[in-house]
Amino acid sequence: MKRRQFFKTAGGTTLLASTGMMNRTSAFPALLMDFYALGGEANLSKVEARYYKKHPDREIECTLCPRLCKLGDKERGYCGVRENIGGKYYTLVYGKACSIAADPIEKKPLFHYLPKSSALSIATAGCNVNCKFCQNWEISQVRPEQVQNYDLLPRAVVETAQKYRCPIIAYTYTEPVIFFEYMYDTSVEARKKGVRNVVITGGHISPEPMEDLTKVVDAIKVDLKAFSQDFYTKYVRGELQPVLEAIKIVHKSSAWLELVYLVIPTLNDSSDEIRKMCQWIMKEIGPDVPLHFSRFVPMYLMKNLPPTPVSTLEKVHKIALDEGIHHVYIGNVPGHSAESTYCPNCKNNVIERKGYSIGKIALKGGRCKYCNNPIPGIWI
Amino acid sequence: MASKVVLIRGKGVLKEGGDIDQKKLLNMYNRGIQILMDKQNPKDGLRLIFQRSDKVGIKINTIGGRKLSSRPEVSFSLAGLLQESGIQQKNIIIWDRTNRELREAGYGLNLNRSGIKVYGTDTKGVGYDSQLTSHLNIGSLFSSIQSSKITASISLAILKDHGMAGVTAGMKNYFGAIHNPNKYHDFNCNPFVAELFETKLIKRKHKLTILDSLIVQYHRGPSYHARWAEKYEALIFSLDPVAVDHVGWQVIEKLRAKKGLASLKEEKRAPVYLKTAEKMGLGKANPEEIQIIEEEV
Repeated sequence: MKRRQFFKTAGGTTLLASTGMMNRTSAFPALLMDFYALGGEANLSKVEARYYKKHPDREIECTLCPRLCKLGDKERGYCGVRENIGGKYYTLVYGKACSIAADPIEKKPLFHYLPKSSALSIATAGCNVNCKFCQNWEISQVRPEQVQNYDLLPRAVVETAQKYRCPIIAYTYTEPVIFFEYMYDTSVEARKKGVRNVVITGGHISPEPMEDLTKVVDAIKVDLKAFSQDFYTKYVRGELQPVLEAIKIVHKSSAWLELVYLVIPTLNDSSDEIRKMCQWIMKEIGPDVPLHFSRFVPMYLMKNLPPTPVSTLEKVHKIALDEGIHHVYIGNVPGHSAESTYCPNCKNNVIERKGYSIGKIALKGGRCKYCNNPIPGIWI
Repeated sequence: MASKVVLIRGKGVLKEGGDIDQKKLLNMYNRGIQILMDKQNPKDGLRLIFQRSDKVGIKINTIGGRKLSSRPEVSFSLAGLLQESGIQQKNIIIWDRTNRELREAGYGLNLNRSGIKVYGTDTKGVGYDSQLTSHLNIGSLFSSIQSSKITASISLAILKDHGMAGVTAGMKNYFGAIHNPNKYHDFNCNPFVAELFETKLIKRKHKLTILDSLIVQYHRGPSYHARWAEKYEALIFSLDPVAVDHVGWQVIEKLRAKKGLASLKEEKRAPVYLKTAEKMGLGKANPEEIQIIEEEV
């Protein structure tokens, strides 16, 4: 792709660059061909990774995520973006963004974090799990040499955010954990310039890096993909418990936390599973962490299931409210009343939403305009 | 009926200084094909495996660099035999994932219309398929070399210990034919090696496995470690992709035992994917059903 194609507009979102092995937006019909035409040497970084142990015989053990990949020389981790080269472990995607866009913060979704803000959203190739229902598999389930990468070092990311008047940088689309060093350093640079940082993650990360991350970012949205290890084993290829631990770490930190649960028909939508999850949330992180139930659409390796019926989403929404969670949302159903924020005390609509559009905001100083009840979140 | 696996030793095929004795290497190939196909003339043997019209891919493994990859002499000797059996030169492709790895293993790239082709999937205009191949636990994009540029495939694989799979040999060599091999190393690569092999793009095209066992990395693989690399000087042939890997595994176990190392089973990394492959009907992993013919040339 030529530099002049860098800036495009698609569907109301300012899209700076978005590359993958296939393209979902008709705005980019040429990208696939560009990928095939790449050839030559791949545009990869060679920056030493953090969070790994050196072992004898040029072997290493990655401690960034719960997989704890043990790798010989020239081998890559499960994520596909970190490689043992001669007994030293390197990230190949530092400063190598494959996807860049300015999105509404509501798209993440983060509903209690600076509503109506625009977030410069970046990703590199790679992921440390392999969800069968991944919506971005063309960039998450590939190696960095299989997509087109842009040289965009941390300072340049921050400058781009400022240039396009984005008060937030979002690390998103794929799994930011796998580009940890890039995300961390960019966050540090961003804070120096007053730009905030949010992370959209599956939470499949070891405790130490998660604790470190919470010190430099402002909000984290965790995709809790199910509440059973069986689901994580079969459909995610990951572990549930480390994700729960990561959620607790975020909650204890100063970073704002929201949760998303993609409801997949017959696989993770039982009332029993949803109730158990809600009870865990109430016990471990309390009623004020917003919980989004998102609608599944057939994708990637899970095309044999229908989209989630709205009635199922309404069922799980009610369970969560019944269990005492204050802010429960239904996502991917534009126009549904459960997109809006309601005061848990007086039940009035305090933030009206329709898709990514925001209507009235009835908050004053972070409190309900009608009854003065505090609404948890970061509002300014 | 037992699956035949032919193990040809060629003492001295690796000369002092590391050069290959070409004549001996060719003898090893000839004898291996003769015994495997029960034909006096190896050309006739290959004609039983390949059609003259076939476009034959020789999938090599060059991740181990110059010291632990199939050398050009090994690949080109095989390509020469294919030519002699009637396969057109222009219809033979020696390939792997990347041009960089091929170059590092000592290969000169060739994309010319004539001549034996040598190139990686990352070559301009080659790449991976745009459509996912989905089969059981596999969801991958195939190299277009495997999917559309060849009609028949030889897995010419290096026999190596592998930290996660236990053994990497002929079947696992096809991890280099997909875009996301890193996703299939959990659980000792089981069932992924077998399930990938069972995809139609491999199962229908795979015709022959040859394990390049001139040097066998019997410990700390798949990267090269001189300390645990044995000058084994063998080629192992079979039409049964599971049986030949099983025999390769036993070679590694014997070398490990000889050097006083724990078995792969004791290290909890036995290549259990072979049993899975057997259950799927891809070949034999039961030693009692494998006929091993060993010969020195």
